[in-house]
Amino acid sequence: MKIATTNLKRLLVAAVVLLGSGRALAGDIKVIANPSVRADTISVAELRSVFLEERRSLSDGSHVEPVLAKGGPAHEAFLKRYLSKSDDALQTYYRTLVFTGTGSMPKVLPSDSAIVNYVARTKGAIGYVDIDVPAEGVKVLTILQTGSHAERKLVVRIEPEYPETLKRLQVGGTVRLQITISPKGSVDSVELLGGSPILAEAAVKAVKQWVYTPGPSPTTIEVSIPFDPKR
Amino acid sequence: MHRQIVKVALFCLCVGQTALQAQEFKLFDRTIQFHGFASQGFIYTNDNNWLTMHTSQGSGAFTDFGANVSMQITDKFRIGAQVYDRNLGNLGEWHPSLDWAFADYRFKPWFGIRGGKVKTVLGLYNDTQDLDFLRPFALLPQSVYPTDIRDASIAHLGGDIYGSVSLRRRLGTISYTAYAGHRSDSLYSGYTYLASEFGVHFSSYGGLQYGGDLRWNTPVKGLLIGASRIDQDVAGKGTFINPLNPGAGFAPYSDKPETDWTNQYYGEYIVGKLRIDSEYRRFLHAQVVNGGILETTTDVRGWYVSGAYRVAKRLALGSYYSRYSITHVAGGPLAPLFPDQTDTSLPANHVYDKVLTARVDLNRFWNVKLEGHFMNGYGSSIFPDGFYPQVKPTGFQTQHECAGSQDEFQLLEGGTNA
Repeated sequence: MKIATTNLKRLLVAAVVLLGSGRALAGDIKVIANPSVRADTISVAELRSVFLEERRSLSDGSHVEPVLAKGGPAHEAFLKRYLSKSDDALQTYYRTLVFTGTGSMPKVLPSDSAIVNYVARTKGAIGYVDIDVPAEGVKVLTILQTGSHAERKLVVRIEPEYPETLKRLQVGGTVRLQITISPKGSVDSVELLGGSPILAEAAVKAVKQWVYTPGPSPTTIEVSIPFDPKR
Repeated sequence: MHRQIVKVALFCLCVGQTALQAQEFKLFDRTIQFHGFASQGFIYTNDNNWLTMHTSQGSGAFTDFGANVSMQITDKFRIGAQVYDRNLGNLGEWHPSLDWAFADYRFKPWFGIRGGKVKTVLGLYNDTQDLDFLRPFALLPQSVYPTDIRDASIAHLGGDIYGSVSLRRRLGTISYTAYAGHRSDSLYSGYTYLASEFGVHFSSYGGLQYGGDLRWNTPVKGLLIGASRIDQDVAGKGTFINPLNPGAGFAPYSDKPETDWTNQYYGEYIVGKLRIDSEYRRFLHAQVVNGGILETTTDVRGWYVSGAYRVAKRLALGSYYSRYSITHVAGGPLAPLFPDQTDTSLPANHVYDKVLTARVDLNRFWNVKLEGHFMNGYGSSIFPDGFYPQVKPTGFQTQHECAGSQDEFQLLEGGTNA
């Protein structure tokens, strides 16, 4: 009987943890790039500029070419968050480029896995996928919310403590945070943008200890903290 | 004159899709893309003939198509060209033209150059006025974008500088274009067709043009405002029958401008599925014919407000109100043949157009549009604004309606069929 009660408690704890952890919020995305892209970060302005075909290289000289999803929550979220255009408006925009000779029709792929595969094997390819999609063979770019002039390098990184219970129960995922870095380099504020809420506490605690290179003004960036129970 | 009820039989004429196929392939590790489009329209009007067609009997002489090829050679350098052909009543007459063909080097997002035959940026839609599939309307507001002089305004042979700059403190983005080049009108356009009414037959029509465009994507999400300006030095040569001496037969004809400029101001607001546009254009043109036997000054003003809403994935509805007016004064020995027109309340000096349209997207590449125009006035006989005495010798009616359908498709690459 005691054994049965203990098992029941464990089951309840597991259920609460799993329900609480949830999945990443619908529309949470990450920006991925082919490893040939040298940059680890990209500003919102640069990202917009790349996907609107105003540039085909980043400020470090890396060749880039945009890859789009055919549809879905990640696509909708990307357009809304970074391009401020509906899918209809974006298609019209690309067609205008194509038929006035000022741009090309970018690659459009039907699924996240197809995008990851294409980005992994295509030099300069840059795309976006759901935050929980495995990013094998590609690099995940950190989005700088402010201009590229404010690029900051991470000099001290503290890894988050993975809660033992959650790790044992195979609860993983990615926490997406927006952090503001002071001119001196310390992390002044942290805001949860998405991902597994139950892992957020550990992520926030770690990120608050990070230190960046000094800059002329406060910088706001987006970071993603992965929690992989298999590691 | 009371309005007549329009009884319209609408036909949707389809163009064979197999004729065009969007493609891309690699050459020396560079991607070459091919794209094409085509459209077919049918127009019926209840009174006046419109756009050089016999629309009062219904006309399907409303076809255009184009195809282009382009290649991104380096991250900063691209080349491409597009051919275009159309038959709009008596205009175009199936004579293909090089729509654009240029080399483009973009040094930075804020600075690039283009050279060759380049589309002319003027207002929201001048450079895309022939690409009907980009918008809900079959015809852009004719007060600002008269389709019968499309070839006169759409491109120049010369060069552009262009770029866009993101402003600090989230103040939006400024984009600019400045250009100079040579404009060369087709001999199958509205100007030359209209001039034939007066016995003038052009052998050439064109000249220098230069101008610029400045547009601001404001911090207000979806709001864009801008202004454009173009100056021209356009002259025509040909032959004509001098009304003062018709017995002499054809005599040399020439005209040259004293003033020729266009100013255009515009705004665009997109929120969700709603798009609202408004533009104002003023065109002032003064010219001297054959050294002074006729001097004319034409002042054309037009504006419109349009709205379009995508009510469903495959259906968009739109409407606009377009207002066009023209004044004209003449001097010189031939002036009595061209009485001054200064009262824009007269139907001969304006066109007020109320438009309703529905666009159905059958799939990603095919769409059908149904559009109705309810017009007051028929413009001037000395400027190509849609109405030509040649196709309505019995005279124009003040109130008139037009209904049209357009079925078009365009093929694009960029999907999964790489």
